[in-house]
Amino acid sequence: MSQPAIWDNSHDQPGHRAPLVLGDDSFGAITQRVATIVEKPKPPRWWTVTFSISLAFTVVLLAMLAYLFTVGVGVWGLNVPVAWGFDITNFVFWVGIGHAGTLISAILFLFRQKWRTSINRFAEGMTIFAVICAGIFPAIHTGRPWFDYWLFPYPNQMQMWPNFRSPLMWDVFAVSTYFTVSLMFWYVGMLPDLATLRDRAQTKLRQLVYGILALGWRGSARHWHRYERVYLLLAALATPLVLSVHSVVSFDFAVSQLPGWHATIFPPYFVAGAIFSGFAMVLTLLIPIRKAFHLEELVTTRHLDNMAKILLATGLMVGYAYGIEFFTAWYSGNHFEAFTFYNRALGPYSWAYWIMVFCNVVVPQMFWFKKARTTPWILLVGSLFVNVGMWFERFVIVVTSLSRDFLPGNWGIYKPTWVELLTLAGSFGLFLTLFLLFLRFLPMVAMAEVKSVVPQAGLERGPHRGHGQYWGEIPHQHEEILGGEGREQR
Amino acid sequence: MTALVELMLDRRSLGEVGSKLARAAAFFGFACVAFASVGAWLWEPWRQRFFPAYLTAFAWVLSLTLGTLFFVVLQHLVRAGWSVVIRRLAEFFAAQAPLLAVLALPLLLGLHDLYHWTHPEVVAEDPVLLGKKPYLNVPFFLLRLAFYFLFWSWAGRFYYRASVAQDESGDVGLTERMQKRAAPAMLVYALTVTFAAFDLLMSLDPHWYSTIFGVYYFAGAVVAAFALLISAGVLVQRAGYLRRTITREHYHDLGKLLFAFVVFWAYIAFSQFMLIWYGNIPEETSWILRRTADGYGVIGLVLLFGHFIVPFAVLLPRSIKRSPGTLLYPALWLLLMHYVDLYWLVMPEFGAATPHLVDIVLFFGLGALWLSGAARLASRHALAPQKDPRLVESLTFENA
Repeated sequence: MSQPAIWDNSHDQPGHRAPLVLGDDSFGAITQRVATIVEKPKPPRWWTVTFSISLAFTVVLLAMLAYLFTVGVGVWGLNVPVAWGFDITNFVFWVGIGHAGTLISAILFLFRQKWRTSINRFAEGMTIFAVICAGIFPAIHTGRPWFDYWLFPYPNQMQMWPNFRSPLMWDVFAVSTYFTVSLMFWYVGMLPDLATLRDRAQTKLRQLVYGILALGWRGSARHWHRYERVYLLLAALATPLVLSVHSVVSFDFAVSQLPGWHATIFPPYFVAGAIFSGFAMVLTLLIPIRKAFHLEELVTTRHLDNMAKILLATGLMVGYAYGIEFFTAWYSGNHFEAFTFYNRALGPYSWAYWIMVFCNVVVPQMFWFKKARTTPWILLVGSLFVNVGMWFERFVIVVTSLSRDFLPGNWGIYKPTWVELLTLAGSFGLFLTLFLLFLRFLPMVAMAEVKSVVPQAGLERGPHRGHGQYWGEIPHQHEEILGGEGREQR
Repeated sequence: MTALVELMLDRRSLGEVGSKLARAAAFFGFACVAFASVGAWLWEPWRQRFFPAYLTAFAWVLSLTLGTLFFVVLQHLVRAGWSVVIRRLAEFFAAQAPLLAVLALPLLLGLHDLYHWTHPEVVAEDPVLLGKKPYLNVPFFLLRLAFYFLFWSWAGRFYYRASVAQDESGDVGLTERMQKRAAPAMLVYALTVTFAAFDLLMSLDPHWYSTIFGVYYFAGAVVAAFALLISAGVLVQRAGYLRRTITREHYHDLGKLLFAFVVFWAYIAFSQFMLIWYGNIPEETSWILRRTADGYGVIGLVLLFGHFIVPFAVLLPRSIKRSPGTLLYPALWLLLMHYVDLYWLVMPEFGAATPHLVDIVLFFGLGALWLSGAARLASRHALAPQKDPRLVESLTFENA
């Protein structure tokens, strides 16, 4: 590691693309850097400490679930009129977190954003674990969770069939499809790296486990050819899923007739919010881990800069949706609609509303400034604010609309019980437990993909050019294309 | 480098042909509008139809400029390299906002025919419209329109001017300035397009509201913009210009983006329709009901198939996106479908779905006038940036 000046690749000079990863690492050095994290016989001390704490919270989660199942939903603070509280808030929060991974791996892949190679594995892993946490909440909020399997359409002796008009059903399909495809994408993308770990294994056990997981990958040209085709196809399949999952989640609210829930902008607004919160979580986890594992040359300042820009853009989209909702509530001329938004801003939950506005709209404005985008600790603090703000956004949506609906006689206030608070804390425990296990046992940076964008990938080697310069001089390309219609030249 | 040398010999400017085209289009467009105006002056049915048809055609040409403006600003926002060779065509189209402001003037004569809420006696008896009066009133409406057009004109002209200035100077600082202004411009763009859609189209039914409406208009405009860029690129190349500058790689990307926004449009349209259908609240469903009755249901189905399902299937194969001669047809088709979409938004407020000659005359009239503005710019400047710092990247770009 030489002087920090060359670590800054966030500058941009039109006509010259900045390098995507830094340092003079050879291919082997990249493997070494990433694989040794997994191969060290003992994990670093901070890992053991955080893992123990996370595991303790996971136990808390299990205890809370056991308590809930034995006593019933009454242990939560839910009651008429607020029948959804922390459960659905947490569900939407965690599903939202689970959006960054697939956005980075699928949409940025289709957009040829090659900087994503340093962070996609990490973000995809986070996606999987967030979706696991999310899946718990709708399952346990049903009251009698042991009947949850009724949600699956299977031929049965009860002559029952799920009601496909219910958004709860749509959630089952949307989230399980998303989880399946995300898992596939994550796993398929990991195959070459798993084979690397297999080949480097020092113990019989590691060799066996990574060998099985690598599915016999030998790195032949045919393997690579099929791998890249599958990767492109999975990216194309995952891209609509990024939009569909959170759109379906938004339908849970928007198909109702409740003011504050029934808004046509909900699907794209929720998707923007999900990407916003997902990127915030990626940053929250990535910034400390990048430092702890000395990955600054792979996850560069430019990566932070880019992610902060996405944070700003999606934050502005969310702010746009807040504004349009507020305007339309007035413009609609509907008293209930207008009251709901008045109540959000000035009613009993106004503190939550203003936390949301401050964290999601005000704080990200600092990312207009490059200093804030490229200074890790500022970015970390900003991303923490966004995490908090996005949780409160879901809380505001879920609770305020329910607590004060059309008839003042129906109004009520919801307060979470200690069980709900500990369940939320426990879900973070589960998330971090899984995440730390991932860091310990799987390659957290896509080694094979990063190697394709390093300077050494060879400027002279046809389409595999490094430094993010994916273009090159192809003389035969400039023949007249309108003569011979539709025939491929290559 | 041989290819680059050949590129230097490429015919790049429309020159005299452009001015001829601009004159012919202006003459034709003016004749069409004059014909429709005289017709409206003479016959009552034409008079009733004139302003709705004018608004539909106007919203169509406006979205072509707004969609291409989005494209231009976006390319600078993300510092795109691949798109440089087609950006100039978009800049010509995006710079038409001043012309559109002039074309908007006739609408002012028809405010009473178009917008219910401009009648004080109607508003006085309607508590809902009375409540909206602080927003829906003529002076504020005009003030807002003026602001929108000022901003669009500024943005379109700025990007066009800076880009052609770079053709002469090759100044990299111009690119930096364009990039710097892209983010704030995009922010104001989002707000102006949203509220313009609310004002011009949504307030045709002043009781109805939909929070997604601005996004819906935007999505259609971007579909139209990509369709337009593909069409313009192919037609310009067929006429013998830029033949070695724009390659099938660029069409492939434009085709992908067209495909993506066709799906995005359908997603937004579905979100709006499904949520209103499911909620089934009378004050919202009335708008949909009017668009499924009196023959508009058929147009709705035409949109479902013609604006989504068929283009989805046609644009899916790689080979079609990589063959410009074929890609031209879905692109032209989607340009037409975008007009049908706007027709479906506007016309149900003004009676049954009977196609009218005025619709067609004004569609061609405003389209030609708008085209003449773009052709005039194309006659003066190169059809692709000459000294953009990312030009080489764009010329040699391939879909790796």
